[in-house]
Amino acid sequence: MEGGERTDLREVMIQTFIRAVEEGVNLAVVVGDSTSTSKIAPFREKYPDRVIDVGIAEQNLVGVAVGLSLGGYVAVTANAAPFLISRSNEQVKNDVCYTDTNVKLLGLNAGVCYGSLASTHHAIDDLSIMQGLGNIVILAPSDPVETEQILQFALKHRGPVYVRMDSGKFPYLHTAEYKFELGAVEVLHEGRDLTLAAVGSVVYEAFYAAGELEEKGISTEVLNVSSIRPLDEQGIVESISKTKRVITVEEHSLHGGLGALISEIISEQGVSVELLRLGITKGQFSKAGPREQIRAYYRIDQKGIVNAGQELLNRRHAWRNNKNEQAASV
Amino acid sequence: MSSLPISQIEQKAKNIRKNVIRMNSHAGQGHTGADLSEVDILVALFFSVLKLDKNNLDDPGRDRFILSKGHGIGGFYCTLAEAGFIDESSLETYLQFDSQLPGHPVRQKTPLIELNTGALGHGLSVGVGLALSAKLSGRDFRVFVLTGDGELQEGSVWEGAMSAAGFKVDNLIVIVDRNTLQLADRTEKIMPLEPLEAKWEAFGFDVKSVDGHDIAEIIETIAALDLNGGQPHVILARTIKGKGVSFIEDRAAWHHKIPVDDQVMKAIRELE
Repeated sequence: MEGGERTDLREVMIQTFIRAVEEGVNLAVVVGDSTSTSKIAPFREKYPDRVIDVGIAEQNLVGVAVGLSLGGYVAVTANAAPFLISRSNEQVKNDVCYTDTNVKLLGLNAGVCYGSLASTHHAIDDLSIMQGLGNIVILAPSDPVETEQILQFALKHRGPVYVRMDSGKFPYLHTAEYKFELGAVEVLHEGRDLTLAAVGSVVYEAFYAAGELEEKGISTEVLNVSSIRPLDEQGIVESISKTKRVITVEEHSLHGGLGALISEIISEQGVSVELLRLGITKGQFSKAGPREQIRAYYRIDQKGIVNAGQELLNRRHAWRNNKNEQAASV
Repeated sequence: MSSLPISQIEQKAKNIRKNVIRMNSHAGQGHTGADLSEVDILVALFFSVLKLDKNNLDDPGRDRFILSKGHGIGGFYCTLAEAGFIDESSLETYLQFDSQLPGHPVRQKTPLIELNTGALGHGLSVGVGLALSAKLSGRDFRVFVLTGDGELQEGSVWEGAMSAAGFKVDNLIVIVDRNTLQLADRTEKIMPLEPLEAKWEAFGFDVKSVDGHDIAEIIETIAALDLNGGQPHVILARTIKGKGVSFIEDRAAWHHKIPVDDQVMKAIRELE
């Protein structure tokens, strides 16, 4: 893993909240005993009336946020993604999405962020479950700069938004000039032989892996798919049509995540491409343990992606060689 | 809205009940028992209690009403028609394909619907958030939430109740349509709710009990609530499911049955 500056994405979130209120956004942040999970203290000190703590009651958390939004607030929920997604699913479906209320759902510590705390605390199904609902924008920032951009977008966008959030310190993939664009896939690095398409906090793993693959002579394109819905199908098709090989990388179940979305695009648009999907095994709960080891196990860390990239290229070459031999023997 | 004399509001209730019978029998579906149960509560609210300007429903300072028992939408549509918020002729489209009047409330389609209910146990939490928004933004509107009684079996109701007391939203008024019947049978037989007053009191509510078919009593009880007392309010309204039609009253099977053939005329005659 490479060095460089890192920032906790929740600190970015809180600073974004503070600036939003300063800029006139009528913000209310609803937490469910998740003041430490959300690191909300600096915001609460400045704006105590804008933090509503409902206690350990996720259904009520979303319901109260909906009520606040109907009363004119831009209501943001900030609690751990697994509990938001599963416990308050019906409130999200009916009260937020179906009723079309101005609520922003932040799924904190998504994926296997909680590592050793095991599967009750893992949210490896949030992208899948949210995509099953109508009328909600689904976003997943990749680094501190994009976190700020996406949250700024969400607070200004009228209507339901889900943001897959991570915690802990993450490296910078963007400069301060970066502008998030809804429904656009971002080409983080251009390449010819292979596309790595990644979402959320594993984008940097893919980005660093691409650097290593380039050193090994594999020209690698990296796509940051931070806008899951709306999705930039054209941008993805352009990249994979060029490289003819794609590896999807997500800290999410292979059911219903980025890999599944790209599979749909490939089959519906008839793109001839080799696909390898990296993520949590379909139909299984995720392994528990230190997060780096979980990522290594599912090959969604830098090393695993590099190996997968080489494998895919070798598979291609082996197939070609085999075919050449067959042709020669005719 | 300006308050009408009780006798005129009672006449409104009769008209609404007759329209419920006509509308449901025309649609061939509907929650007739639940619709008739709540009518006197709805007329008390919409013809007397609620502060709202028909010509300015976007007023952020107006009172809010949430029909948490979303299956009672038939009674609500007929009330909205009687009060002139929707066209009475639109009642003919109830439950038709892509109709403006679907079988549960849809905010995007009908005025004065705050929340798309139908799944039970959602209204109270949203009511708490709305009431809290008034407190936090210095507005003095009130929030009314009408729940069914079977609905109180949902755990989310009690999450909402706990927080209503915790947030001291004394501008929140929950009304329970206590007809003692749920879909399949008596509430007390399926999963007992009693002692209901004691439950709400234990959750920190100011509890009142009324005859849910006595419009004057409902109005007076609401008028007498202490809206600065730091406590949310609940009014347990004793009602009869299917109220007003002898062969529908207090029968679980009429939760979502509709009158057919000569039952329609018989029901209308009883409601004259």
